[in-house]
Amino acid sequence: MKRSFLLTLLLVIAVAATAVAGTIEGKVSPGKSVVYVDTIQGKTFPAPSQQPVMDQKGLVFGPHVMVIQQGTTVEFLNSDNVQHNVFWPSISGNKKLGHNLGTWPKGEKRPFKFDNPGVVSLLCNVHPEMAGYIIVSPTPYFAEADAIGNFKIENVPDGKYNVVAWHEGMKQQTKSVDVAGTGKADFTLSK
Amino acid sequence: MPGQPFRTGNRVLPFLVLVLVLFATRESRAIPAFSRMYGTSCSTCHIDFPKLNDFGKAFKDAGFKFPKDDESMIKIPPVMLGAPANAELWPHAIWPGVIPGLPPIGLRYNTYFQYTSTNRTNFNQLLPPGTVAPFIPTTDFQTGFFSIFTAGNFGSDIAFWVDDDISVSGANANGGLGEAYLKFVNVGRLMKLPPYLLSLRVGQVELDIPFTQSKSIWISPYDIYSQANIGAVNGAFPLQQFVNNAFTFAGSGKGIELSGGHSTGGYHYSVAFIDQVTTPGLSQANNNNYVPTATGSNQGGVGVASDANFKDIYTNFQYRFNLERDKASRNAIQAAGPTGPRDHTYLNVGSFYLYGRSVQRLSGSTLDGLPAVVTAREPFYRVGGNFTFNYHCCLQFNGLWMYGHDNNLLPVDASGMPVPLPVSGTTTVGLVSGRPATFSGGFADVEWLAYPWMMVLMRYDGVNSTSDYINGLTSGGFTNSPFNGAAYATRNRVTPGVQFLIHANIKASFEYQFRPSQSVVIGSNPRTGYPVAISPFHTNTAVAGLEFVY
Repeated sequence: MKRSFLLTLLLVIAVAATAVAGTIEGKVSPGKSVVYVDTIQGKTFPAPSQQPVMDQKGLVFGPHVMVIQQGTTVEFLNSDNVQHNVFWPSISGNKKLGHNLGTWPKGEKRPFKFDNPGVVSLLCNVHPEMAGYIIVSPTPYFAEADAIGNFKIENVPDGKYNVVAWHEGMKQQTKSVDVAGTGKADFTLSK
Repeated sequence: MPGQPFRTGNRVLPFLVLVLVLFATRESRAIPAFSRMYGTSCSTCHIDFPKLNDFGKAFKDAGFKFPKDDESMIKIPPVMLGAPANAELWPHAIWPGVIPGLPPIGLRYNTYFQYTSTNRTNFNQLLPPGTVAPFIPTTDFQTGFFSIFTAGNFGSDIAFWVDDDISVSGANANGGLGEAYLKFVNVGRLMKLPPYLLSLRVGQVELDIPFTQSKSIWISPYDIYSQANIGAVNGAFPLQQFVNNAFTFAGSGKGIELSGGHSTGGYHYSVAFIDQVTTPGLSQANNNNYVPTATGSNQGGVGVASDANFKDIYTNFQYRFNLERDKASRNAIQAAGPTGPRDHTYLNVGSFYLYGRSVQRLSGSTLDGLPAVVTAREPFYRVGGNFTFNYHCCLQFNGLWMYGHDNNLLPVDASGMPVPLPVSGTTTVGLVSGRPATFSGGFADVEWLAYPWMMVLMRYDGVNSTSDYINGLTSGGFTNSPFNGAAYATRNRVTPGVQFLIHANIKASFEYQFRPSQSVVIGSNPRTGYPVAISPFHTNTAVAGLEFVY
């Protein structure tokens, strides 16, 4: 009897949560951009336990762009048979948040937990041509647009948010979006 | 705690960049073709090009390819000259190989600006009265070199290199071939020797001298590398030497070189056998209309390059000690091998030795008075040592010392009396040993990478040659001395410099040369009666250059 009550309660909560969770859809030009919901006042989110891997292989960062939630720990892997370094001079222009992870050989990983939101420009001081990006979203609500720019951020609670769109080499753009089941935001980024 | 991505320091130098955007080095040989092939920056292999970092040295040691996983790094696929499976058919098929997907060609151009101190006009005193002296400007823009170079490998550990100055001084002059060789890397594997124990280089090469001259970052050459050994020939002094050896380390040699080890840690050795070219002016061709050569026609050729059968023998041995204090990082560097971190502390020490036999041929006679050719074969050697102390990423101290020794065979006539030098006539019938012609000297420098884009330099050059000193003290002449009227037997030069990488392939360089003491007025020492230089002066120069490679 007690177990049935608990199951019913969980079901009701789940249905209710689904009812208020919406999506933000839209199109961003150019494609392959990152879109995320900016900081929500008064709300914090637990850090995810998953640790994505940023690889260095063939003298290239892979993936070239990675979007993560604030508080995520990223594993930096060197898959090349040459030394690689990873550093970033700033996070979204804040040079105090610059960091050098060091230089290490093939097969080794070095973790780093990103506690500050923003755009992290990854560089390697052994191979100056290498570049990669980690976009640290302050919320778990983010998405990467496809090649033609369509994106969809799911499980966003109803409410009003600032949505940010970012693309390499472009000025990022912020738009206010009302989510009531669904929200829509289109972006056209420029240099 | 935030780290620092680069070496940092004072940020007040941008104005210097603007001021010095007019300068470059002379003999650099960076290879932008590799940047294209691997899709990577010049600075992957170079610190202040053409100076190689450890990875660049490992890349070169491996035959111009990545020491490990080279194929996975190439962004432009090579063209196959036969499928790899053809190797199984050998000898019934050509052994497969590859050529680079893009022609690995690099080009380089540089230009200079020179300021010369007012003492430049002092040499006009040497001209006969009434002669209009050639004008030497205080400031002068000078066109440098336009060079082409190509390098790469054919797969299967066979590498190549060719560089040539196709235009010098903007005057359609040909500066000539620098190096041109094939390198068979790891040929020792055919004898089941350990990797990197034996490689073979064949062609025209710069000897494996401890500090390269042709790929130096300095505008001015190392004085000791340019030192020939010309014996004392000045009637005002009792010392007479029949030595006329034009060999210098600054030039390239034709021959073969065996080498092994690594340039990045542990031992490195080389043994070379090169054509002997010691006669002044005999740099390339020794024409003979009757003897065919490999590069000549049926009626003779132009390719004879030696002036004797003997081949000069050159040996070089270096050892690098890893001085990382932290055991973990020291072990990590050693474990990583040639791809180890480049910015570590080490001490490299080494020595080198060259043995040759300089040849001079005289029209003489026999004791019976019959015409004869008298041949003086004068053994000579050069021996020296060197060190490099590299501190972390950015500070390097280098030093080299060398001693040169040439046997001196003096011509004598039928009565056994020395024939006055320089020799004229045909009275020589034989040779007797005299005092050897010797010199010594070297250099020491400091190279500080203040920023990844700025190198601060300081160098001291010293050459001690008694014969140069004696030859320079000829009134109104100085033609026998490589340095006009050396006031002292030791020539000193101090050269501060600074270089800026405007981009990874564009460099501005500046050097001020506090040059050795010179003189044009000869007096007599009242005690010895020997000539002595009076009123010595210095002809200092400031040279700036701008260079790019692409």
